[in-house]
Amino acid sequence: MKRLHTAALASLIGALSLAAPGIADAKPWWMRGVESNAADFLPPDVAFRVAANVDGGVLKVRWVIADGYYLYRQKIGVQAESPDLSVSQPQLPAGVVKNDPYLGTQEIYTQQVEATVPYTRFDAGAHPMQIKVTYQGCAEAGLCYPVITKVIFPTAGYAPVAAVSPRHPWEAIAIIGGALAFLFAGLVLRKGRKLEVPA
Amino acid sequence: MNQTGLRLVGAALVVLVGIWAGFRVYSSRAQQVHGEHAQGVRVAAGEASAPAPHDYTPEESALPPPAIPSTLPAFSLNDLHGKPTPISAWAGKSLMINFWATWCAPCRQEIPLLKSVATDWAGRGLEVVGIAVDHRDAVLQFAGQFKIDYPLLIGEQDALDVAAKFGMQSAVFPFTVFTDRRGQVVTLFVGQMHRPQADLILSVVQELNEDKVQLADARKAISAGLGAMADKSG
Repeated sequence: MKRLHTAALASLIGALSLAAPGIADAKPWWMRGVESNAADFLPPDVAFRVAANVDGGVLKVRWVIADGYYLYRQKIGVQAESPDLSVSQPQLPAGVVKNDPYLGTQEIYTQQVEATVPYTRFDAGAHPMQIKVTYQGCAEAGLCYPVITKVIFPTAGYAPVAAVSPRHPWEAIAIIGGALAFLFAGLVLRKGRKLEVPA
Repeated sequence: MNQTGLRLVGAALVVLVGIWAGFRVYSSRAQQVHGEHAQGVRVAAGEASAPAPHDYTPEESALPPPAIPSTLPAFSLNDLHGKPTPISAWAGKSLMINFWATWCAPCRQEIPLLKSVATDWAGRGLEVVGIAVDHRDAVLQFAGQFKIDYPLLIGEQDALDVAAKFGMQSAVFPFTVFTDRRGQVVTLFVGQMHRPQADLILSVVQELNEDKVQLADARKAISAGLGAMADKSG
């Protein structure tokens, strides 16, 4: 009976060690150390997702901006990155005017913005087209990200929007914890039993 | 229930945990593979809508928690006159170290608060130190225009290296580090701070300096206090 209780406990430990990410995010108190409110804000690649596609003789570069975040028009730039590619100045729609007491009137974009960028290729399609985009934005809640630079491959039709899929830092702990729980449970269940090997 | 029955229940529980764990790991891996190969969610041209924080998994929807040191790391940066100044110049004082840049609007909006905090808390063993991660000329012009009267340190890559020492490898601005008089890092506040938040943190730091509260309890009190303020405003 005692053995079975131990087995159940082992399963419970396994289940807890493999807890859902929401629980894993909340570190136990003895591992927390100095805390911050960093989680109040989005990572830059989530706050501002950028993609580009080829549309006839122009490139369309689109930024999808998270709610509560904005990009500065003045800080948006597009440059050629692959060989034998030339891009013109990006054509951007008018933004929302934001008055800054120090920098003066600034135009910003919220929700999404698309830049039209005329381009010329001199390589007859020999290289995959690559462009370098720069942009800078902030959160309305009071945070700014430094200038972000990304090299992207414009695609035809559908544009892959850069997304982040980080491996959860607690995944390794969950796997090891689960494995240990199984090992423990196996030992408990096997205890006292002879290994029967067929003759 | 006899022993065999209980054993079967235990085994079934272990199997269930195994299936669940396998599913979790598979989901995580599948998401990663999707990210690596397809570079993210495909959005049809012209049909994208702005993402909201709830569109993301918990891992994606927040800045990664910085690995903040428990004690003030040693570093040195140039002051307004170009003189290298170690942070240990203020040893024995509580510090409110504000990382900022002139191009950052919330940073500029925070300056009046920092000036008033520096004045109000001057006699109580607190020093406000600004660390401008910016071009020197821009900072000098800005500091003159805004009449910043608390100590400023300036740097570019070297200041970013200092930010990284506080766990902010991908620096965002502003952020502010609070230490007690012993040099223990009490908390790190990301984003523009407002007076109630500054007052809350500083009052707890003062209690810590007066040995009225333990460090762990001080951190807990700050976290709870800021959380309550966020709930109230949200």
